[in-house]
Formats: sequence, C-alpha cells, structure tokens
Amino acid sequence: MLSPFRSFVRSPRLGRLIATHSSVNPDEISHFSNLSAHWWDEHGEFEFLHKMNPVRMTFVRQKLLEAARDDGTDPNPAQVLANLDVLDVGCGGGLLSESLARLGANTLGIDASEKNIGIARQHASTDPRLAPTSPHSSLMYQHTTAEALLEQPKQFDVVCSMEVLEHVDNPASFLSTCAELVKPGGHLFLSTISRTPLAYFLTIFMAQDVLRKVSPGTHTYSKYIKPSELIQFFETYRPPTPPAPVPSLRESVTLADSLTSSARPWITRHSDTYLPRTQVDVRGLIYNPVFGNWHLAPKDAWGSLECNYIFWVRKPKEIDS
Amino acid sequence: MLACRRLARPAFSRIRSLSTTTEGALTHENCDVVVVGGGPVGLALAGALSSSRVVGDNLRIALVEAGDLDKIRAWQLPSEKYSNRVSSLTNTSYAFLNDIGAWSYVQHERTCPVEHMDVWDGISDARISFDAAEIGTVSQNEGMARLTENLNLQRGLLHLLEKAPGVDLIHRTKVTSVTRESEGHGAWPIVNLDNGRRLRARLLVGADGFNSPVRAYAQIPSFGWSYDTQGVVATLIHRPRSAYEGPNTTAYQRFLPTGPIAFLPLSPTVSSLVWSTRPHIAQTLQGCDPSVLACMINAAFRLPQVSLQYLYNRISEAQATSTPLTPQQVQEEILWRETSHGIDRHSAMSASAAMGDAPIGIPPVNSELVPPLVTSIQAGSIASFPLRFNHTESYLGEGAGARTVLVGDAAHTIHPLAGQGLNLGLGDVEALAKCIENAILQGSDVGSYTALQPYARERYLTNHTIMAAIDKLHKLYTTDFEPVVWARSTGLEVVNELDSLKAAIMMTAGADGGKSGITAGWDMVTKGVETLDSAVKVARAVGGGIGGIVGTGVQTLIQRVSERTRA
Ligand SMILES: Cc1cc2nc3c(=O)[nH]c(=O)nc-3n(C[C@H](O)[C@H](O)[C@H](O)COP(=O)(O)OP(=O)(O)OC[C@H]3O[C@@H](n4cnc5c(N)ncnc54)[C@H](O)[C@@H]3O)c2cc1C
Repeated sequence: MLSPFRSFVRSPRLGRLIATHSSVNPDEISHFSNLSAHWWDEHGEFEFLHKMNPVRMTFVRQKLLEAARDDGTDPNPAQVLANLDVLDVGCGGGLLSESLARLGANTLGIDASEKNIGIARQHASTDPRLAPTSPHSSLMYQHTTAEALLEQPKQFDVVCSMEVLEHVDNPASFLSTCAELVKPGGHLFLSTISRTPLAYFLTIFMAQDVLRKVSPGTHTYSKYIKPSELIQFFETYRPPTPPAPVPSLRESVTLADSLTSSARPWITRHSDTYLPRTQVDVRGLIYNPVFGNWHLAPKDAWGSLECNYIFWVRKPKEIDS
Repeated sequence: MLACRRLARPAFSRIRSLSTTTEGALTHENCDVVVVGGGPVGLALAGALSSSRVVGDNLRIALVEAGDLDKIRAWQLPSEKYSNRVSSLTNTSYAFLNDIGAWSYVQHERTCPVEHMDVWDGISDARISFDAAEIGTVSQNEGMARLTENLNLQRGLLHLLEKAPGVDLIHRTKVTSVTRESEGHGAWPIVNLDNGRRLRARLLVGADGFNSPVRAYAQIPSFGWSYDTQGVVATLIHRPRSAYEGPNTTAYQRFLPTGPIAFLPLSPTVSSLVWSTRPHIAQTLQGCDPSVLACMINAAFRLPQVSLQYLYNRISEAQATSTPLTPQQVQEEILWRETSHGIDRHSAMSASAAMGDAPIGIPPVNSELVPPLVTSIQAGSIASFPLRFNHTESYLGEGAGARTVLVGDAAHTIHPLAGQGLNLGLGDVEALAKCIENAILQGSDVGSYTALQPYARERYLTNHTIMAAIDKLHKLYTTDFEPVVWARSTGLEVVNELDSLKAAIMMTAGADGGKSGITAGWDMVTKGVETLDSAVKVARAVGGGIGGIVGTGVQTLIQRVSERTRA
C-alpha cells in the first residue's frame, strides 16, 4: 500500500546513468527526497512498510527453504539465508537489508539516492550486529543503480527489489537488469502493486487522498504492474545476448521476438491454470485494517492478487538451459 | 568489585563476545535483551529465552536484580516448613514451565495439587464446589492447579539458568536510572547500574514489579486504584484430615464483606493463608498473638459476619488499651458467639474445638465443607501486602520510551482472590519469548515496536478480560447489602447449573480450560456477574416501588450499592 520510492539525488555520476538506463525516474525522486529522515520512524510515513517487512521476509525464507528442499538439501530453517550473496535493489533506509543481514546473508543494499544510503548506513552503525566496524557484520551499502552493477561480473544468489517496480520508468529493462544480476539457480524476489481498480482505490485514493497515510504523489496508477504481466515476462524472457532495445512491458508482452537467446525461459508452463511450483510463485500481501497488520494470502486465494503482492521466480540452473 | 555473578559460558562466542563501546568518557556494554527484575516473572523470561536455541544463537541477554539470587538458589527449608508466598499455578503455566524445562528443577514434593475447590458466600452461604475430575481437559492427578511456593519456582528457574547458560545474571545490583542514548527514532536505552556498569539495550524488559522503574522510563501511563485492602498471608499448621475426609487437597475460599479469605493446601498438615481484608482489620490481625490469629482464621471460615465484626472490635479495643486478649479469652468469646448463633460445639461449624482435644473417630458431618482447624501458625510467616488493581495503557514503550516492553506485575496487578497474578505474568513471558523467537527468524530487530507488537496484541486483551472479571467478582462480593446478597445467592445457584461458567470459575482456581477458551470463560464470568448485576437492578426497581411508601431513603441506598457493584 505504501511504496516509497528510493529517492534520488541529482549527482553527476548518476545523471549519466539515467541517460543510458531509463529505469530511474528523476521526477519520482524529487518527491521522495524529503522523506528519507522518516525511514526508521515506525509510526510515521513508513509504518506500513515496517509492518510489511516481516511478511516479506517470511515469504523469502519460505521460498528459499522450499527450493533447497527441491534441490535435495535439508537446511536449518533458521539459517536458509546464511552466507548467501544477496542484493537489495532500492534498499531505501535499509529495512529489508538489515533483516537479510541479521539472518546471515552477505547483503549489499543499493539505492539511487545518496541520502537514503546515508540514512541506511547511519542506522546500521547504531546496531552492534550490523555496524561496519563489527567483525560479524555482513551488511554493505552502496550508492549506485542496478544497471551500474551490471558492469561488474558479480552475480547474486538472491536479488530482491521490494516496492520499487511501480516507480521505475521502463519496467522491462529494470526486470532484465535484475534478472541478469541473479546467479544461475538463484532467486529473484519482487514486491509491488497490481494495476486494478481495487489497488487504485486503496493505494491512491484511500492512502494518499483520503487518509493521507502516504504523501500524495507517492504512487502513479499507470505504473502499476499486474502479476500476470510479470509471469508473462518471465515466460518469454531470455538473457539478451547483445543488449537489445527492450519494448515497454505494459504495451507488449511479445518480448521473445526482441530477446534472442537459446536458454530456456525462467517459467515454462504446461498448464494454463497452474504455475510450475519450482519456478515461480506469487502471493497477495493483505493488509488487515482492524489489526493494522499484513499477512501473506494463502496460495491461490481468490482476489488476493488485486493489490499488493510478492513475486518469486527462480533462474534456471545452467544444466537446465 | 563488580557484584555480579556471571553464569554465562560463552557458548556462542561469536555473538556473545562482550562488545564494549566507548561513548565520550563512558563505556557501555551492548546487550540484546536486558531484563530488569529477577522475580518469578523475570526469571521465567530468562529461562524461556535461554531454552530456545534460536534465541541462544542470536541474542546476548542480561538480567538485573536488586536482591540476592544466590540466597534463592540456595534456599532450603525443612520439609514441614513452607514459605508464606505461595501461588496457585494453572495447568497452562505448568505446561509452559514444563516446556522450557524449568519444572524438573522445581521441587515437586513441595507443591500440592488442588483437587477440589469450595467457594461460598459469607453472607448467604450459597456455595459452589467442584473438583478437577469434572473438567475433561485436566489430566489425572494433576489437579486443577498446583500450589507452589514462589521461592521453589524461582530456585528452579535459577537452576535451569545454570544448566542452560547464556544469561548474564547481575544480582545484588540496582538499576539506578535508565537514559536514552540519543534523540533519534528507536534510540537504544542505556541501563545504569549502581555498580557502575552501563548496559545498552536493544530491548529493555520491565519485569520489575508494581513500582516498575522501566515503566517510568518508558513513560507508559497506567490506571488503577488501591482496593483499600491488605492481603494477610501466613503458613498455617493444622491436623491432618481423617481417613473419612480424604487428603488435604481442597482449596477453600469464603467471601466475607471485608474481602475473601482463602485456605490453600500445601501438605497434609500445612496450608497457606491469603486473607484479604480492610487495612485496619489486617493491622489488628497482624498485631495479635499468632495463636489468637489462628483462632480468628478458624472463626473467619465459620462464624457469621456480625460475630466476626464483633471479634475484630473486641481484639482491636483490647490492643488499644495495651491489654491484648489471650488465646483463651478469644476462644471463650468465639464459644459465646457460637452459642448465641446456635452452633453446636461439636459440629464442623464450630471454631472453638480447635484448642480442645484432637478429634477421635468419625469427623462431624459436613466437615469437608470447611478447612481443617488451624492449630498454630509457622513462626515468622505472617505478612501482609496492599492489594490493588492496575493495568498499564500499553505493554510497549513508544517514542522516547522505544525499545521497552513490560511483563508481569510491572504491566498489571490484580486482586489475589482468583490466584491469577503470577499466571498472567507467566502467560506474558510465554508470549513474549515466542514473539522474540519469531522476530529473530524474520531477521527483525527484536527491540522494534513492529517486532514486539504481536506480543502486546496477544496479551493485552486477554489480561484485560481476566482482570475485569476478577475485579467485578471482588466488587460484587464485598458488599453485604441484602438485594445484592440475594442476587448473589441466586446467581450462584444459576452458576451451579452452567457447566461452562463452572469451567470458567475453575480457571479462577487455576485449571486450564483449553487455552483458546480462557478469555471466553472469563467473559462468561463477567457476564455471570452482570446477570447478578441485573438482579440488583430488579431489586432496585422493587426499591423504586417501595419508594413511594417507605420514602426515598431505601431507594438511595439501593442505588448507591448497585452503583458500587457495577463500578
Ligand atoms: C497476597 C498475594 C497472594 C498472591 N497469590 C497469587 C496466586 O495464588 N497465584 C498467582 O498467580 N499470583 C498470586 N499473586 C501475585 C503474584 O505474587 C505476582 O503476580 C508475582 O509475584 C509477580 O511477579 P513479578 O516477577 O512480575 O514481580 P515481582 O515479584 O514484584 O518482582 C519484581 C522484581 O524486580 C526487582 N526490581 C525492582 N526494581 C528494581 C531495580 N530498580 N533494580 C533491580 N531490580 C529491581 C525486585 O527486586 C523484584 O525481585 C499474589 C500476590 C499477593 C500480594
């Protein structure tokens, strides 16, 4: 419901990045740049996000545990994230990154906003478990974009980008960037808002205009993406061998034509009704206004994907391709 | 120099290695959880946390207690002597203590199951009695509750903490103040100890009792009142029950207009007293010779209210003139009152037989309706505590009081008539430990409001429901105004018919009605009380009818009482 974009500060270095990679939107950014001081106020602007975080973490852990079991290993459920390389794209104040790092993941949080990275670093420094001075710390922050990271060879076991997709300008390009940052056999987690009348009503009309829980201008309806669009993207997505111009996700889903690769797509469906369990999952994130908390909707619950949802997709292992 | 006994063996040195940071000239130690208070609740929390592998792997825990925990660890009494602070632990509490591995360190022989309960109204004599076997959920020989000395429980928990180390026990050390390290959101509290140590706490737990300094730091408001009642406790010695009467496993409670008096069995010849009464009466009782008090206890379970009132006055007047009554004089007074009430000296209702010969042969009829006659009181066991109702507005600190959470008496204090205070505290501990464990698994900051909210959500309403029901029961029974008494007695008759309500009242005594049913049960107690309350309203309506004839005096009186009952 509340999806503050990681605000952006006009820096010369990133200016160049925007020119070449159009997923970061400078307008989105000026709106959020004043909010970063509130990231860690659990009762403020980001309260919903604080409350949503444990639910997102539950989903992440659950999927990693299932995948490990599918691979025939039996990890300690408390340690599924231990020692994995995890990237948090659009980490904001570090809500998710801190949780990932506490569970032992080698976490890199990146954000296009220098201010956010400053807040995130400052907050982590007060926590002896996470402070960069601590010998146990496995948390790093970097002021950069996902696109810029592609220039390095490093890939990650897990890439997360929570509540970011609805704020980027070219989601297809953003998605393929994230996808490329994932190791073969690794995982991509996204949470965002669907483009439905209900989502409009709750996240824009109620949250922004009526209740003023979220600053007006936080969300733009036309930028919302439906779960079916994400699924279709990964049914056709193949790593672009030469970086090809990517069509807009919202206009067209015939990406296969423009992306040429021999690898199998991330999602190979044999049925129209069921998603292949080992490749993809999508679950609604439901807010209960009475208790003021979030929960993960049961699998395939009717209508549960009408608003906030979380999406997991697994990159094929090399042998699969 | 540090008055600290460290039990912690650094099993997981990666995390537990003491991280000390300097901030200006002052150094502090980083802790994940600082529990203030080593009462039964604080120790149970430490025990629950230390028994969780997930918690042990991730959190550094310290507990600060002003008192001497070594003394409790070494606490030992001859088998026939008992501490005067006794709590009836519900089966839920018992199961929890078992789960965390604490119960095996509690000296079982010193605990006593409650198999039966007898509760009656001192004015109308309406009575409910029931036994553990009536409730299906209670397992064999467990009773509906288990009377346990607080010290026996605390000692057991300390032994558990020795066996499952991981908690830094800092005792004989007072928290002198709590300060905030900075102004930011979710700033960490710094706990300043009188030995100079400073603990920087990710999460600060107030298990520090009614006068909770942690609550004061967190600026959590609380509401409540004093009952204008003292709870007099003592360890009672009596003859064993005869073979005809069965074992001493019945708890008795008589509701007097001045407050309930309870007799809680500990062994065949020892039981514990909790006598809630007006402060001036408590003072009188505590001021008498222990054998006079023994006579008064016997009388309080048997004589009509009017005679008890007479006896309190007699004793108090004698005390005022420095000519205290001897036990023989009090016995004679009691005998005289009994004769005037037509109570047969040899009947079960006679308190005057106490000083006489040991009963021979078949006990008098109905002897099981009253507790055995107290013959003496264990030396040094008489004490009293002010009773109050108190509930904080929240269990979690916010803003300037961020990263604090309250458990046990620091969060809520109730009248002991239902023996629930410690049980509520143990329920808090179980929920909080579970909440902390879940938060760790989600990678949350266990000191954050968001991580702790499930604890508050689980406990606040449950506690509130139980507390409200107990408070209403107390108010209902501490009046001797006739319409209320009449309503009460019919109410009790109705109560007897209703299995579910009975189950709820058994939870009053400490039985487990199934966890999910607990608040439902207590809700029913409240509803039951409200039914009586409407009976009072009927009485008031009648009073209104009379009003035209007798005048408004009666009406005002009825109104006053019914308001008092509802308040
Ligand atoms: C007469 C009577 C009968 C009762 N009967 C029952 C019963 O049958 N069943 C039942 O369940 N409950 C019963 N209760 C209630 C029960 O005793 C309490 O609920 C229980 O003791 C509360 O435990 P606690 O650990 O929360 O608080 P406490 O026992 O009050 O412990 C608080 C601890 O904090 C420490 N502390 C406080 N301030 C500081 C500081 N600044 N620095 C360091 N340490 C500090 C204190 O030294 C103390 O040890 C009864 C109560 C009374 C008065």
